Amino acid sequence: MRRIERLINLIAALLETRRPLTAEQIRDRIQGYDQETHEAFRRAFERDKETLRTLGIPIETRKVDPLYDASPDGYVIPKDRYYLPELGLEPDEAAALRIAAEAVVGSADAARAGLMKLDIDDPASRGPRFVWGADVASEQPYLPPLYESVLRRAPVPKSYRRAGADEVRTRTVEPYRVVHRRGHWYVVGRDRDKEALRAFKLSRIQGALKLLEGTYEIPQGFDASSHLPREGWDVGAEPDIVAVLRFDPELRWWAEQNLPSSETDEGPDGALEVRIPVANLDALVSWVIGLGERVEILEPAAARARVVEHLRAWL
Amino acid sequence: MSEVYGRLGNRLRRILVLVPHIIKHPGVTVEEVARRFGTTAAEVVDDLNMVMMCGLPGYTPLELIEVVIGEDGSIEVGMADYFAASLRLSPAEALALLATGAALMSLPEFADADALRRGLDKLEQALGVDADEGEGVQVEVEHAPVAHLERLRDALERHRRVHLEYLSASSGRLSERDVDPWALIAALGRWYLVGFDHSSEEERMFRTDRVKSVEVLETEAPVPADFDPGRYRGAFSGAGGKVVTMELSPRVMGWFSEYYPLEDADELADGWHRIRLLSGGDRWAAALALRLGPDVRNLGPPSVGREAVRLAAAIASRHRP
Repeated sequence: MRRIERLINLIAALLETRRPLTAEQIRDRIQGYDQETHEAFRRAFERDKETLRTLGIPIETRKVDPLYDASPDGYVIPKDRYYLPELGLEPDEAAALRIAAEAVVGSADAARAGLMKLDIDDPASRGPRFVWGADVASEQPYLPPLYESVLRRAPVPKSYRRAGADEVRTRTVEPYRVVHRRGHWYVVGRDRDKEALRAFKLSRIQGALKLLEGTYEIPQGFDASSHLPREGWDVGAEPDIVAVLRFDPELRWWAEQNLPSSETDEGPDGALEVRIPVANLDALVSWVIGLGERVEILEPAAARARVVEHLRAWL
Repeated sequence: MSEVYGRLGNRLRRILVLVPHIIKHPGVTVEEVARRFGTTAAEVVDDLNMVMMCGLPGYTPLELIEVVIGEDGSIEVGMADYFAASLRLSPAEALALLATGAALMSLPEFADADALRRGLDKLEQALGVDADEGEGVQVEVEHAPVAHLERLRDALERHRRVHLEYLSASSGRLSERDVDPWALIAALGRWYLVGFDHSSEEERMFRTDRVKSVEVLETEAPVPADFDPGRYRGAFSGAGGKVVTMELSPRVMGWFSEYYPLEDADELADGWHRIRLLSGGDRWAAALALRLGPDVRNLGPPSVGREAVRLAAAIASRHRP
């Protein structure tokens, strides 16, 4: 008998059983476990459990008799964790999900496999595709386990390298949401050690992630955005500075287009003066330098001096 | 097929979805199933021949899965209620759909936005996310000017050439160009237009926030059959194939290497790193180096160094007291 048949038999039996099956029962009853020694059976069974877990099949260990402390352990696949519930998708909803699947660049295999499970037709047969996601795709190795943690409300300990530091810290986090902003994935949630809401950049996480036992609640109406840095100059400790930037006439359209919510004044000769709140002058200086010679910081004077200082090596 | 699971894993994954599909659609043909699962009719028959050897303990004909393949190729599967519903989506599979769906939602006037939102909500609820808690996945894409995106989308759908006014990162100047649009790509929190640029006669990428105006022309602009947007994964620094070199301080090396895909990096004796990355033009590279200020040194090639000196002088002259 081939191993894949044994695996199918194992899944079927563990889905259908009313009580968890002990290792001995599995060896006796399930076709394919006809190894000669107990040791050989244990090895085969361990390998099978590992394969099923890799495929995302939830095989759980439970007491055969939950009321009896000395009860032996058995194995079961809980139906509510295995079966995809009926989504009741309307045709337009299925069609829209198909468009989303065909827009994936990064994880096209995963998206396709997801569609198959939802019993939605394969997008490959459709016409030209016109819009694509790219780095939003879930290629980050830590993204699926963290999202699973959000779904299961299972806290995770993780090692985290702080920005600009070599030091690695371990924190236990209750993830509320995974967020993609400006090319980066973050997990936003409650840091149990700090007892505070925090955002962690996935690219700074190191080592293995393992979901813990236990659970937590996600506050209703939780707004992840307010816990993430908005712009570079928004992050920092310098409060209540308002910077005034002058955009030359050639570039004023850019400011009007990309900083639409800022207060503006007409400057001399068709220039546009834009007022923006700043919490980090260094980030502002770096951003303005990147915009080139058609933008000038008018205020504060300290930021003007920092621009010149920042460029000193090139002057 | 995914490499992660190996041959056996991939086959098992397919069978666990294929069997529920047949149970839900009795009479579906071998050919249809093969096409749907991207495999051959022979493999589907192989899978089914194997499935009928499996079942529940006892393994008498009463416990084995029943498979009937008719002469017309139609299939029926019975005695397998435990496989009537599919295995749940893995977190990775759900994310691939949810994240891209969320990015699409950020397109202004996206025609299917309402249906997509409902579909994504149902998917997340099936996975265990409570509707009151909001989505478990959030993808933010900055709004470029709505009118630009609408026109670009229209041009892409109708395969029309566009005329752009574009602030070029490589020259720092406003340019006018005709572009055959091939795709809109959401990356790094922005929308990018990819297409054939007739002024440089090259495939180019344009940041939509640097587009000043879009005019849709009536010239037809088909997308080449071999165009593969997958190539643009992670390639959002520059284009043109030129390479810029510089040395970075340990203070900025960490985040820099997260933001920019480096060609290579060597650590030097004093802890600085010599890096090479694809350049978006001399001006682009010079502006990047100036932003890093004292944390960068030994910029190359010489044309980039000269541009950095020129640009630094121009910026500094405006900021001296």
